[in-house]
Amino acid sequence: MKRRSIVALSVVAVLAAAVMTATSVASTKTATASSITVWLQVDAQSGWPDLVAAANKQFQSDHPGTTVNVQYQNWGDHLQKFDATLAGGGGPDVIEMGNTEMTKYMAAGAFADLSGNKASFDNSANWLSGLAKSGVYSGKTYGVPYYAGSRVVTYRTDLFSKAGIKKLPNSIAALTADAHKLLAKNKEKGFSPFYVAGEDWYAAMGFVFDYGGGIAQRVSGKWKGLLGSKASIAGLTAYKNFFYAASRAGKTATEGAPNPNPYDVYAQGLVGSMIGPSWFSCCVGAKYKGATAQFVMPGHVKGTSMPGFLGGSDLAVPITSGDKSLAADWIKDFTSTAGEKGLQAKGNIPNATNLLGASVNEKAASRSWFVPTAKHWVDVENGNILRNMLGQILTGKLSVKQAAQSASDNIASVLNQP
Amino acid sequence: MSAAAEAHSWSRRRRRFLERSTPYWLILPILVAIGVVLGYPLYWLARLSFKQYGLFELIQHRGPSVGFKNFRTVLHDSVFWHTLVRTIVFTVVNVGLTIVLGMLIALLLLRVSGWVRILLTSGLVLVWSMPVVVAVQLWFWMTNYENGVLNHVLSWVGATGEQHDWYATTFSQLSMVTLLVVWGALPFVVITLYAGLAQVPHDLLEAASVDGARPWRAFKDITLPILRPILLILTSLSIIWDFGVFTQPYLLIGQAKTQSGNYLMSTYLFEEGYFKTDFGRGAAISILMLLMVALISVFYVRRMVSIGQETA
Amino acid sequence: MKQAGWNAVGIAVFVVIVFPVFWMISTAFKPDDQIVSLNPTWIPLHPTIAHFTAALHKQYFWTDVKNSLLIVCITVAISIVLAFLAAVALARYRFSGRKAFVVLIIGIQMLPQAGLIIPLYVVLAKYHQTNQLSGVIITYMTFVLPFCVWTLRGFLIGIPKELEEAAMVDGSTRLGVFVKILLPLMGPGLVATSVFAFITSWNEYIFARVLINDQRKNTITVWLSYFLGTSRHTDWGALMAASTLTAIPVVVFFLLVQRRIAFGLTAGAVKG
Repeated sequence: MKRRSIVALSVVAVLAAAVMTATSVASTKTATASSITVWLQVDAQSGWPDLVAAANKQFQSDHPGTTVNVQYQNWGDHLQKFDATLAGGGGPDVIEMGNTEMTKYMAAGAFADLSGNKASFDNSANWLSGLAKSGVYSGKTYGVPYYAGSRVVTYRTDLFSKAGIKKLPNSIAALTADAHKLLAKNKEKGFSPFYVAGEDWYAAMGFVFDYGGGIAQRVSGKWKGLLGSKASIAGLTAYKNFFYAASRAGKTATEGAPNPNPYDVYAQGLVGSMIGPSWFSCCVGAKYKGATAQFVMPGHVKGTSMPGFLGGSDLAVPITSGDKSLAADWIKDFTSTAGEKGLQAKGNIPNATNLLGASVNEKAASRSWFVPTAKHWVDVENGNILRNMLGQILTGKLSVKQAAQSASDNIASVLNQP
Repeated sequence: MSAAAEAHSWSRRRRRFLERSTPYWLILPILVAIGVVLGYPLYWLARLSFKQYGLFELIQHRGPSVGFKNFRTVLHDSVFWHTLVRTIVFTVVNVGLTIVLGMLIALLLLRVSGWVRILLTSGLVLVWSMPVVVAVQLWFWMTNYENGVLNHVLSWVGATGEQHDWYATTFSQLSMVTLLVVWGALPFVVITLYAGLAQVPHDLLEAASVDGARPWRAFKDITLPILRPILLILTSLSIIWDFGVFTQPYLLIGQAKTQSGNYLMSTYLFEEGYFKTDFGRGAAISILMLLMVALISVFYVRRMVSIGQETA
Repeated sequence: MKQAGWNAVGIAVFVVIVFPVFWMISTAFKPDDQIVSLNPTWIPLHPTIAHFTAALHKQYFWTDVKNSLLIVCITVAISIVLAFLAAVALARYRFSGRKAFVVLIIGIQMLPQAGLIIPLYVVLAKYHQTNQLSGVIITYMTFVLPFCVWTLRGFLIGIPKELEEAAMVDGSTRLGVFVKILLPLMGPGLVATSVFAFITSWNEYIFARVLINDQRKNTITVWLSYFLGTSRHTDWGALMAASTLTAIPVVVFFLLVQRRIAFGLTAGAVKG
């Protein structure tokens, strides 16, 4: 009896000691006067490391003695890592966030207020509204637009001309007709005149917005779902018909990994055209590189373009940063006019309207849509509500009306959480 | 007592004390290591499960106490119960397949020639050494709708006319996960059972076959009893692991298609608690999950503890 | 069944089980267009080592291999020693609190890891062990120890007490019995357990990912994830080549110790 209690007591003692030492106050500030930590995504590491180096050089000449420690992150788990540092310290001074990820963290108070520094960032008066909106919460600026990307159609010029398509389609009806022409000339199994994964919600929502519908809207302080509206249902029906006519991709396939990427299927010669970010043209395979070009996705009204999803990244300063003014300075150096021009040269959309050029990517950005700036939008995305809805529609499990209404109600309840 | 006798009894007492305290010294290092690392996290989980703790509270380092609300929300959620049942079924299937196939392959290892044995064990270690992240990518690749090898092979045999989407229904999604998990679990089970079979006295088996006993009898009466402790361990460990398996279902199905229809307890915990940054709820689910696993494995655990006690 | 028959079955099982690994290695040698092809190329007729070169030259490869080896070897070494001691206590001694200790050991394995990520980070941060290899080692030890104790205990129970008692009657001390009698007989068990500990630590991802921020201190598993993390083009060939490379130390380790298992089998007659 005595021995057992000794063991029990010692176990408890060890645990208690651990708890007590661990709960003692110890804050870990990140930046010392001599270094700052920057978290950028791996896209920068592989795409434009020279721009990062240039920004570091500029920063170090302005602040001699301060080093910049750039740590590259993956999209899949960078938020989990960020959450851990918010809880325990040791996080970055500058962090790159996807524009759809910003709202939730701004609402939680994760970032420092940069409204005071806004004027010091190059071209801040002309920031792209789609990007800039994602960095503002309750009237304060927390995120600096970094770069954007829209959605364009990448297509096989040789297949189009062989099918007798003389001019680029200027409406969905024209594109559908072109799809039939392509199917007539290309009979291989699995050939898609227009490859779009069934559950590619970026593409599908373009149809919804094109018909005047929407995802959700804030009405008197509460979020109301818009997918059940007549306009949205018209858009979804148009998407469904277009998919059946033009795409042979999986009805429940999602637009990203682990499914094969559209450009991989394209590289096999099984795709006439595909929708996606403009950098898709990088990876179409050596065989078709010369026969590839891009055009803006047309809307259902002749001569208009379909609204494209404006994806992009913002740069923010976490509230746990040890030296926020140094962090803001680094952001200023990285998003300078020279830096943004460099990003543009790599195929991205720069962050300000006065810098915009005439590439297909940038033209597509003129008519764009964005997700509701709601605190819980990230939960809608992560909950795959839109993807599941598309899967149900395309497999015929539910009618368009039923699926849309149920998704709409679902979205409203998630967004209206406290 | 004479001085010599006293000295003798003193040293005997000291030896007895050393003898009796030895086990405590033996387990002390582990207790310290575990206590230091896991003490605080366990306390954190327990404390947080009674709080409303989202991202905002995480940043503030404090949150309001809400009593049992987190537990109540979870226990009243039908998704939780469906997920629990699904996970139990999943666990039974996975553990069953793993142990049975593992036993068969371990027995096979005994029968083959030396070079085949080395081939097979090296193959198993190769499988074992693959990082799960890579294995998942490979698996998906081999089974995907567009260019998967599996569909290709099946079309040779003429089994499927069109490309089959192995991830269309939640049942086939979880079947793919099962295949992957069992495949990854086999090496460890086979190698451990094989090491255990090494402890079966050869001459006992020979004597049995001389006596005319059929292989199944010999297996049941001689091999199985000796292997019982190890089988018990492997089964209980497999139950614990397969109940909580996370990486394979999460990555193979993909975050994009993880939904309430194919949740397993671990993906449910991750999605509802951590991905949605409701840490209080996540802590409550963690604790509930711990209790569930404990309940499910209590039968095996008691058997294992009692086996130890009869031979020690 | 004749020997040849068993061998045929063995080879068939080998082919089925190893096929994904074969696919990974063959992909590592395929040129890019064959990788994404809809008609799978079974054996690349024009193998290329370009992917291996790309992988080896990718930043931090050798550094991260070194980190992984360091972390894993230290974790396994310490864990096996501590676990063996505890397993001996559990299998050979009666002491009060034994049941509690057993429950603790099993209980730890039941902890859902996803739930522990953030609090573990917080506690290690307070001891300044985040972004340190030692923090990762401590974490891995905690997860590997219970399993090692449990498995070693299982093997120990299988060894009859009579052997030790006979040796002690012959005059050796308890400690001498452990070293001279138990340890050799535990050969296969120690090997299997340390292989498991090695592989679990080598392949662990999520904790290494969250605890380490400096790319120079990453483990090789985290390094691998950088191939998949970008939202752009994934270099499958290089990923497969890199995965093949990271599997090599594990296979080497096993080949080094597998002789012990074979030795255990031939010395298999465990009797008085």
